[in-house]
Amino acid sequence: MPSAPGSGFSGSVSLKYVKLGYQYLVNHFLTILLLPVMAAAALELVRLGPDELLSLWRSLHLDLVHILCSAFLLVFVATVYFMSRPRPVYLVDYCCYKPSPSFRVPFTTFMEHIKLISNNEKSLKFQTRILERSGLGEETCLPPANHYIPPSPSMEAARAEAQLVIFNAIDDLVLRTGLKPKDIDILVVNCSLFSPTPSLSAMIINRYKLRSNIRSFNLSGMGCSAGLISIDLARDMLQVHPNSNALVISTEIITPNFYHGSRRDMLLPNCLFRMGAAAILLSNRRRESSRAKYRLMHVVRTHKGADDRAYRCVYEEEDDEGHSGISLSKELMAIAGEALKSNITTMGPLVLPMSEQLLFFFRLVGRKVINKRWKPYIPDFKLAFDHFCIHAGGRAVIDELQKNLDLSARHVEASRMTLHRFGNTSSSSLWYELAYIEGKGRMRKGDRVWQIGFGSGFKCNSAVWKCLRTVKTPTDGPWDDCIHRYPVHIPEVVKL
Amino acid sequence: MPTAMATAAGMATGPGSRVTRYAKSTAASVTPVRPGKTHTLSALDNAMERHAVHLVLYCRAAPGVDRDPLKESLSEVLSLYPTMVGRLTRGEGDAPGSGWIVKCNDAGVRMVDARAAVTLDEWLATASADDEMDLAYFEQMGSEPYIWSPFYVQLTEFTDKSYALGLSCTHLHNDPTAAALFFHCWAAAHRRSTSPYSPFLHSPSFAVSPAATPPPAPPMLAAKSTSAPPRADAADSMSSATFHFPADAMRALLSSLAPETTPFAALAALFWLRVAGASTTEENEKDLTLALDFRKKMHAPLPTGYYGSAVHFTRASADLSSGLSAVAAALDRRVATVPEEELWAAVEWLHARQADGGEPFQMYGPELTCMALDHLPLYGAEFVAGEPPARVACRVAGAVGEGIVIVLPAAEGDAARDVVVTLPAETTARICRDDEVLRYGAEVVAGTKVETGAKAK
Repeated sequence: MPSAPGSGFSGSVSLKYVKLGYQYLVNHFLTILLLPVMAAAALELVRLGPDELLSLWRSLHLDLVHILCSAFLLVFVATVYFMSRPRPVYLVDYCCYKPSPSFRVPFTTFMEHIKLISNNEKSLKFQTRILERSGLGEETCLPPANHYIPPSPSMEAARAEAQLVIFNAIDDLVLRTGLKPKDIDILVVNCSLFSPTPSLSAMIINRYKLRSNIRSFNLSGMGCSAGLISIDLARDMLQVHPNSNALVISTEIITPNFYHGSRRDMLLPNCLFRMGAAAILLSNRRRESSRAKYRLMHVVRTHKGADDRAYRCVYEEEDDEGHSGISLSKELMAIAGEALKSNITTMGPLVLPMSEQLLFFFRLVGRKVINKRWKPYIPDFKLAFDHFCIHAGGRAVIDELQKNLDLSARHVEASRMTLHRFGNTSSSSLWYELAYIEGKGRMRKGDRVWQIGFGSGFKCNSAVWKCLRTVKTPTDGPWDDCIHRYPVHIPEVVKL
Repeated sequence: MPTAMATAAGMATGPGSRVTRYAKSTAASVTPVRPGKTHTLSALDNAMERHAVHLVLYCRAAPGVDRDPLKESLSEVLSLYPTMVGRLTRGEGDAPGSGWIVKCNDAGVRMVDARAAVTLDEWLATASADDEMDLAYFEQMGSEPYIWSPFYVQLTEFTDKSYALGLSCTHLHNDPTAAALFFHCWAAAHRRSTSPYSPFLHSPSFAVSPAATPPPAPPMLAAKSTSAPPRADAADSMSSATFHFPADAMRALLSSLAPETTPFAALAALFWLRVAGASTTEENEKDLTLALDFRKKMHAPLPTGYYGSAVHFTRASADLSSGLSAVAAALDRRVATVPEEELWAAVEWLHARQADGGEPFQMYGPELTCMALDHLPLYGAEFVAGEPPARVACRVAGAVGEGIVIVLPAAEGDAARDVVVTLPAETTARICRDDEVLRYGAEVVAGTKVETGAKAK
């Protein structure tokens, strides 16, 4: 609501209380309505006295048939209600791959390699500028093949990286949850840029000797938001198959994708993408509800591919010299903003408290009917969520979302610190951010988490989780040896 | 396996070499270096610009000795050496008299992966001393010191899964002692333990206050600085050989000399006499340059792990006709009585010369130089607990002219010694067949190129 001009400090303070009062009133409307009704009924009952109530009961002339039919109706309605509810999807636990520090790529090493490999002064200057403003730290890691001068992206090296990151993440998960390989009923793997034959899911089935009737899926080419697509697919499978476990692996294999050319719009992935992987165990078994960390509340997927600009925004192609790379268009931020708006339009009614939804509705009606120039009301998502995990695609993405959703620095801290420590690990970055929040001891029972992923297509996917039990610190995970140093101040420009 | 870009990257070994270098990468340390850290090189360090140190350590096949674990332990030990992973830059805005400064910018050391077509034992039996340098890759500083790595580590895998670890570095950073102790630290890190010789970084160790009057030039260094610079291909006319003196050979040698003669003096005297080819009749007063590690000879001794050059060149005189015993005694006397003032005079003069813009000159040579390195714990660098290296070889590059003789410890233990000689090719060939040298039971373990394939006896 716009504040009256010239209202001053006392005006804005009283406005704050008005807003709080309004929110409390609308969000607890039913309770507020119900309380006086219940009080009146209780008063009436007490006034009537037990003898009067008994005579009232007898006057109804209920006999056995009536009672049986009513009971049957009640049981019938209850059964239909319980059967039609979706199966709950629990996140039992998850593990992120922690790269060995010997894979570290300091800024100077990165720049030196570029100078040694290519003679193009302009592209060198450009990459220096990107790195200076990237928000990455000195501890991000690249796979072994990228440390060679020049990088040696063979298929064998790519497979080796896949095995390293995926098997480490799964081994940690097995250790933490006691998961037995034969208990995995559904396997979903997403890795956008590396898709060998047999698939990565087959590689996992082979290594861990999973069951022959496992339902496995391998999603490739779906970009950085594919992690939430995998979660969505696993959830749908868990609705169909009762009493099942689903293992979801999100990763991005960096080895095959080093860009050897000099086109500026294709050099960004070289500078920002780093190795990472996450393994997540989902289940719909009742007995997991006691030890599960989170419950999946909503998944909303938005695809803007119908729009040509959005479709071409992240595009893999060959440059004039024949080097293939992924070009990022200059309109990326604008398109991401639009995709986010679409997504939150669908997400809003599912998660926002009634107070915000009413405000949005009235403002919308007002814009259409009264005055077209009223600005659309941006709902305050901080009321709906306690924690935000924004895909650490780059500093610009996080800045853009912080502005659009009006988030404070603390809300985006997990994203910024993940970008600093691990770089852009693509689809698995959301899990590193969640691990950061847990590592800082901020995750309490009942907290709601919003994970937002962006990816080529252009897609914006989001998932809402509810925390089922307070997560104890210290936790073991990718942050265990460095969380005490965070948050760090990340300067706007690092001088190289 | 990475594709072979050896020729393009300039790493290819010569034709007929049994070693193939197939990939170059950079090894970073595991801990980021605090930004802004720098290390100023001393005047003595700066004077060594023309030289490089090469060490090759042969490690027998064992579980835990493999390329990836070695690379991991290398990254771990590099966190103790922020200067090794830094880059050289000129101090005070590129003025030539300002000396080099190491900017500890966390750039890493170059790593070369290589493969040898033979087993370790075959190599040790048949490789020439010059072939051995195929195991230690090095690049000279080009026009851009800022992206030039001063350290190179080559991991060569033999067909029986043994490894040769080759460390090459510029003498600006490390003298052979410091380079050898790096292996010690790396081996300790590989065994998950710590080395007692961790690096001691202290720029002011050899700092001198600027003198009011310019210090006098020490005669030997003055002569070195004014002698003509060597021709570009001078190094090609030199060749190396390694002699192994087993314990009984050393005992036999020492028993023929005065008691209390040190092994270094005995071997230095022996090789000096044979290289000079002096007759034993006429009076022949000659000088020999000795290169001594001065860390523990100073009044305020430096820790053994001192990172930098602490090599002092001193001249010993002896009458070559007086026999091996007397010459050895003369050398011992000289080593025992070298005054510390001589070292400081040299450092002061080098400092003043550098401030005036003097270019660095050849420090090892051009006259015959004998270097004492047999105090180094080379065989304590155990990558697997209880398994010392099969052999450690050492060279100092840039010592052209009459050559250099280095006395090293040997794999066998305390009494035995290895001697590496780098001399003009004909002299090396002559020495390898010299009866006087081989009389006591020594053997040539790495001969000159023409003798590869057969042990010279």
